[in-house]
Amino acid sequence: MMTSLPDDTLHQSDAPGMDRRSFLKTGIGGAFFLGTVSVSAGLSGCATQPAGSLGDSTTRPASSYQFRFLTRDDIALFEALLPAIAGPNLPEDPQTRRAAIAGTIERIDSGIHNFGPANQKELRRLFDLLNFGLTRVTVARVWSSWPNVSTDEAHAFLERWRTSSIGLFNNGYIALTKISNVAFYGYSDNWHLSGYPGPPQYAVDALPQFKNA
Amino acid sequence: MQLKDRIAQGYESGWKVTDGATLTENQTFEADVVIIGTGAGGGTTAEILAQSGLSVILVEEGRLYYQKDFKMDELTAYASLYQEGMSRVTKDGAIAILQGRCVGGSTTVNWTSSFRTPDETLNHWANRFGLDSLRPDAMTPWFDGREQRLNIEPWAVDPNPNNDVLRQGCEKLGYSWKVIPRNVKGCWNLGYCGVGCPTNAKQGSLVTTVPGALENDAHLIYGLRAEKLVANQDRIEHLQATAMSADGVTPSGITVTLKARHFVSAASAIGSPGLLLRSELPDPYDRVGKRSFIHPVNVTVAEMPDKIDPFYGAPQSIYSDHFNFSGGVDGPAGYKLEVPPMHPAMAAGVIPNHGQAQATNMAGLPWTNAVLALIRDGFHPDSPGGTIGLRDDGSPYLDYPVTDYLWDGLRRAFHTMAEVQFAAGAKRVRLMHLDSDWYTNLADCKAAIDDVPMELHRVRLFTAHQMGGCGMGANPEESVVNAFGEHHHISNLSVHDASIFPTSIGANPQLSVYALAARNSSRLANKLKE
Repeated sequence: MMTSLPDDTLHQSDAPGMDRRSFLKTGIGGAFFLGTVSVSAGLSGCATQPAGSLGDSTTRPASSYQFRFLTRDDIALFEALLPAIAGPNLPEDPQTRRAAIAGTIERIDSGIHNFGPANQKELRRLFDLLNFGLTRVTVARVWSSWPNVSTDEAHAFLERWRTSSIGLFNNGYIALTKISNVAFYGYSDNWHLSGYPGPPQYAVDALPQFKNA
Repeated sequence: MQLKDRIAQGYESGWKVTDGATLTENQTFEADVVIIGTGAGGGTTAEILAQSGLSVILVEEGRLYYQKDFKMDELTAYASLYQEGMSRVTKDGAIAILQGRCVGGSTTVNWTSSFRTPDETLNHWANRFGLDSLRPDAMTPWFDGREQRLNIEPWAVDPNPNNDVLRQGCEKLGYSWKVIPRNVKGCWNLGYCGVGCPTNAKQGSLVTTVPGALENDAHLIYGLRAEKLVANQDRIEHLQATAMSADGVTPSGITVTLKARHFVSAASAIGSPGLLLRSELPDPYDRVGKRSFIHPVNVTVAEMPDKIDPFYGAPQSIYSDHFNFSGGVDGPAGYKLEVPPMHPAMAAGVIPNHGQAQATNMAGLPWTNAVLALIRDGFHPDSPGGTIGLRDDGSPYLDYPVTDYLWDGLRRAFHTMAEVQFAAGAKRVRLMHLDSDWYTNLADCKAAIDDVPMELHRVRLFTAHQMGGCGMGANPEESVVNAFGEHHHISNLSVHDASIFPTSIGANPQLSVYALAARNSSRLANKLKE
């Protein structure tokens, strides 16, 4: 991973996004930059291969899940973001919390596999932009690498992109939160967080497709 | 009765069904007619042609899922039954596209609302596009026929509380409302239409016309992507297709050639223009993929004093057309009001938020009502629609600019939806907009609606109805097919799906597709048997 620029070389504006005029000025270069991030990320040693099995990890729960899209860097990104997205609905106990996060990331990967090539390409650009040190700092304005980002910092990043007047950042916010929210709240173990009791029991009892389960 | 699984039984009785993933070498199939797509258009066409004695091959890119797979679970259903695993969006990412990708197409996952094409729309088509043969009187027998075939009747059961909010709100405000006709038989009123009907009650193509075709010797090949129609002079010689692996996403490397006397594209308003563009068929006036319409949808949610449980019960049973044609057929953008079901994943994906705010939103789901507006696009010069294009890999995308004309309609729809929800007793209302708070009274909410920027991404926009792109018309300079779905320049190619609509419908489009496909297939059967 390329080393980040020292902080004092950066413009640390905390305004909720640049104004339209400055975006238009940087927009063309910015768009070009987005297109090249994937290449740069590969050249600079960011993880670019799907993570496969995380079986060798000492900090993550054991799982036989094979990642087909998310790289190790992407997984670290979601490990940083999910506490800010699922927020107070994540369990407090460290072990069950890690398991809830890991399971959600597996479901995110599984969902993205079915997105198909076109949207995978878009997400690859977004994730590379967030994982590549230079763009993480300059575009997302997240100063630490993701494993060192606190929940408050992750929340602040999401808020910047949600409230930004730049559509591209709003789009990134929606992409990150939508896949996370769906994978988290859509999972049967978390249905109770929405007050959803699940499919009516009488139907489950009566229908043949549940008989052999 | 509805638990009888026709597809499981059909396998036992020897239906010709091939899973593209099982093909191990390149091969050629031949029939009188090859139909691309198995949704509302393809299924209807296949049944009518097969019943007339023609040999038929049905080609479906998605996979075959039926009752045994329909377990009322959102995550598995969205991943397997929807285009791009439910992640399909317009080119700039600003509009989420809900569209089926499986045997039965969108009819396998739609919410069963079955409206006739409004008279205003058919008359507009006649007046504006020279489609006089589609006037309401001429179409009535085709709607009658499809309503009978697919058991379409106004929902006789009380609306669920989510739909009742729309009914009560309209009633209080003096806005007209009606009961939605649904294509169901013996419906259990469970609320899972969107994830594959678990009881076989929904009379979509999967359990009606596709089995009807298979029982008349048609051959269904699923997991097979139509790549290119190969033409010689003014005739298609064959369809080139790619088999998909069992994951439904990855091409297996096997190619299939399909030969026929006639080809019918019924691959949807995104798929059919995409196929025609990839095939580089004659298009002298550059019409393929133009005038794509989507009924842009915006949404408001309300916290109601009583439990709504918006995940249970027939998802759509009440609608209001009060504002649909009130400004004239080609006046300011009109809109139809309906209600979407809200299961946890759907709600979590539609409501844009994170952290504590989202936790609170989701905890309130049992008390949440949602109302949606379908903007009637394509009737006014300032609503010219979007464009279907091709990515580098040949896959189609929809580029849909939202014009000021549409933003005006969307803003008025926000006002109406908030009025309806507060009139029905909402404690507070929120726009599906990145800048919206919860508003506890109508005045504050309306002030906010006038104030929020109507901009892409900030307004959350959706479409479940893709239409146009291969529009019908009498004049080949402004259309792709004639009033019978016959291609203007290729003699043995028809298009039988929502892509042939020259505007949007102004109502959920499935019955419009069924009826036109039935009409055009009956004519095609007669022609091919001559």
